[in-house]
Amino acid sequence: MVSEAKATVAKSIGTRATDGKQLTRGAVALGGLAAGYFLVVGLHRAGVLISDYYLQILIWVGINTIMGVSLNLINGFTGQFSLGHAGFMAIGAYVAAYMTKILGAPFAPALLVGGIAAALGGLVVGIPALRLAGDYLAIATLGFGEIIRVIILNLDVVGGPRGLPGIPAHTTFLWVYAMAAATVVIVRNLIWSRQGRALVAIREDETAAETMGVDTTRYKIMAFVVGAFFAGVAGGLYAHKITFIDPSQFDFMKSIEALVIIVLGGLGSITGTVLAAFVVTFLPEALRAFADYRMIIYSLMLILMMLYRPRGLMGTAEFGFRQLGLGDARSSARDVGGQAMGRNDGPPPVLETRGVCMDFGGLRAVSDFCMTLRQGELVGLIGPNGAGKTTVFNVLTGLSEATCGSVHFMGNDITRKRPSEINDMGIARTFQNIRLFSNLTVLDNVRIAFRGERPYSMTEAVLRAGRYSSQEEEICRKSMEFLRLFGLDDRASEIAGKLPYGAQRRLEMARALATGPKLLLLDEPAAGMNPQETHELLELIRWIHERFDLTVLLIEHDMNLVMKLCQRIIVLDYGNTIADDAPADIVKNRRVIDAYLGEEAV
Amino acid sequence: MPGGLDISMVVQQLVNGLALGSVYALIALGYTMVYGIVRLINFAHGDIFMLGAYYGYFAITMFKIPFALALPLAMGLAAVTGMAVERLAYKPLRQAPRIASLITAIGVSLLLQNLGLKFFEARPRPYPRIIPMVVWDVGGVVVSNVQLIMLALAIALMVLISLIVYRTKIGKAMRAVSFDKDAARLMGIDADMVIGVTFALGSALAAAGGMLVGFYYNRISPTMGAMYGLKAFVAAVVGGIGIVPGAMLGGLIMGVAEVFVIAFVSSMLKDAIAFAILIVILLFKPAGLLGRAVREKV
Repeated sequence: MVSEAKATVAKSIGTRATDGKQLTRGAVALGGLAAGYFLVVGLHRAGVLISDYYLQILIWVGINTIMGVSLNLINGFTGQFSLGHAGFMAIGAYVAAYMTKILGAPFAPALLVGGIAAALGGLVVGIPALRLAGDYLAIATLGFGEIIRVIILNLDVVGGPRGLPGIPAHTTFLWVYAMAAATVVIVRNLIWSRQGRALVAIREDETAAETMGVDTTRYKIMAFVVGAFFAGVAGGLYAHKITFIDPSQFDFMKSIEALVIIVLGGLGSITGTVLAAFVVTFLPEALRAFADYRMIIYSLMLILMMLYRPRGLMGTAEFGFRQLGLGDARSSARDVGGQAMGRNDGPPPVLETRGVCMDFGGLRAVSDFCMTLRQGELVGLIGPNGAGKTTVFNVLTGLSEATCGSVHFMGNDITRKRPSEINDMGIARTFQNIRLFSNLTVLDNVRIAFRGERPYSMTEAVLRAGRYSSQEEEICRKSMEFLRLFGLDDRASEIAGKLPYGAQRRLEMARALATGPKLLLLDEPAAGMNPQETHELLELIRWIHERFDLTVLLIEHDMNLVMKLCQRIIVLDYGNTIADDAPADIVKNRRVIDAYLGEEAV
Repeated sequence: MPGGLDISMVVQQLVNGLALGSVYALIALGYTMVYGIVRLINFAHGDIFMLGAYYGYFAITMFKIPFALALPLAMGLAAVTGMAVERLAYKPLRQAPRIASLITAIGVSLLLQNLGLKFFEARPRPYPRIIPMVVWDVGGVVVSNVQLIMLALAIALMVLISLIVYRTKIGKAMRAVSFDKDAARLMGIDADMVIGVTFALGSALAAAGGMLVGFYYNRISPTMGAMYGLKAFVAAVVGGIGIVPGAMLGGLIMGVAEVFVIAFVSSMLKDAIAFAILIVILLFKPAGLLGRAVREKV
């Protein structure tokens, strides 16, 4: 029976075992993989169950597994809908085949170089992914795949449309098995790390991810590069299996095949992908009599899957140690740290804006906005709807670039910095319309935001080495502490989107605080709350303000809350600052009463 | 043709490009209307175009129906097919994540194409010669009656569709649903019906495009939908997806660009140019030539 704590861990991505268990599990995994290989080869030698024919099919299963897992990294985990996977495969296939056939290179370096060449392709394709999303990205990647194919078609050195025959048949079961296993392990390790959480955060909500300090550019490109690399390796294996390649083998249909695998297996499930690779490879063999209908069955499968089981065979679930009862319990450390997160040596003022204005088309949403926030201040930003309050937040956090003026934070000009850089420097925010990673667990929401000093590298994540284990443990422990501070620790394993409204607001604040800010921007935290909840919120904000030694800027319409909480209030109207004063003076200010408060508030 | 660009050669390619582009425009209209209303890239649209060409083919060869009647018949059948696809495959997914509909659309496209391969045979078929080809030489530029008929028909249909979208009640309902489906529904508009009509109109135009392609190039095949469909989609994006005049502009640009690449660069690159244009447009003017950028509200 799995305990509550284990369940929490199981539902969250990338919780780590302790060092000792880590080693044991690594050994078990390796042993299992080796045993699997010897089992297949043994059975084949003995002529039991696995005939030559089945061994061949297993080779195709392996190649399809690599294709599927690598595409799932891009599509399923990072949420970047790519339809150009065949293009990466083609690059790998052609480069590797060229090296072995024409340059006479050994297989291993040929595969590697093929993978690297495909990864470079991934880098190029990743660039439009920075500006495009969803359907547009799908079409653009499809276009890239086609362009790669057309380029090969025009390359005489590899035979152009005639193709490249006589490629040495280097691809053995051992090669495919080893490469598929390596792909699965590497992608799995990558996903279950802080890098993997960043990828999933991008899938869930790119804007929120960016403001929580995830450098979305870097991670999207990383997903494309790593995914393309393995597709290239798959291409190399493919070429040395089939021994004859031509551009038509890598058309749109090849990309669709990979898509079918991940859709069937589950977008965001590695084990599901492996399972689906088996199904998709064996199915046509089993249906040999209906060979003509293969594509019809494929296409019906795609449609019916989407209509009746859109999450695939496995959804985003995985099958692994945990399901076998070998999982690890969450770290037992339960001491509340509660040390000040802020690096509080900065001299006041913390934040200064000089003449900031923001135009949308012809509309000036904010004009000549000057504000100074001093260390430890708790300031309210109020004004009627459309006054430009959220726009100010967007400028401060880098989501909008100011049309003119500048923003200085702790002495640095942050006017043109990216949201993730600004977050790194110490500004965190919440959103007016809550933007959690709503399909992820409560714990993961906080863990994505959490960063230590000198975070471990991607290599360490893939190899499960170096700082990885200790840092993961610390991230998990600290994140649980944050949840406890906000009264959410007993809901750590719940899906964030299913929390009640008030709890979602609290989680959003916990997540923002987990990034370790010095300045916290709260956008209408009391919206939709009843008086009781608002009162609790008031206490909560006061408390975190003190505890974390924060400077807080707060947008709020609940005047009662603002008056009680804030030391100073700035009033915006039609983008202009009409008052900046202590609460007691604000309520007497004629312009503020006319613009916003109305007579009865006085 | 002797080396160098002579002016009549350029004009000649322009004429050919406009003829081809008018077909892209017809198909692009369907993409753009459907995208405008349900925010879905209807990958199956290219295959409806293919089916339309075959409906016309069978009407003319098997049932000996004259072209003037076969055209509306094929358009009608395609409209029904398009509506059926919408009802069976897309409607159940209207609340699902966009990616689910997109994958379904790819599935439907593959299904139609492979059903075509199965039942219409894979080999390309010669399209019946409906009228004898007449060719005029105007100052070194060759123009055929087929090209003129094609252009005239395409323009007539585009005018018709513009009138429907901008001048009729159903057109107004379409624009309302496109703008805000829920609000439109609250105003008493039967959104499902409007979406069905949109698919029907788009599919009918695609069928007309299919028959014109058969008419012009004299051959059709079950796989023709993929490339024409993709290029027409690119045309829609280039013009600004969801914008009716944008689809026409984009279609013409696509046609001319492709013909110019074939004539002056390399015929091998004719399919790559579409995607190259697409990527450039998406990177520098993602909302398309006639579109306006929409920012995500935070």
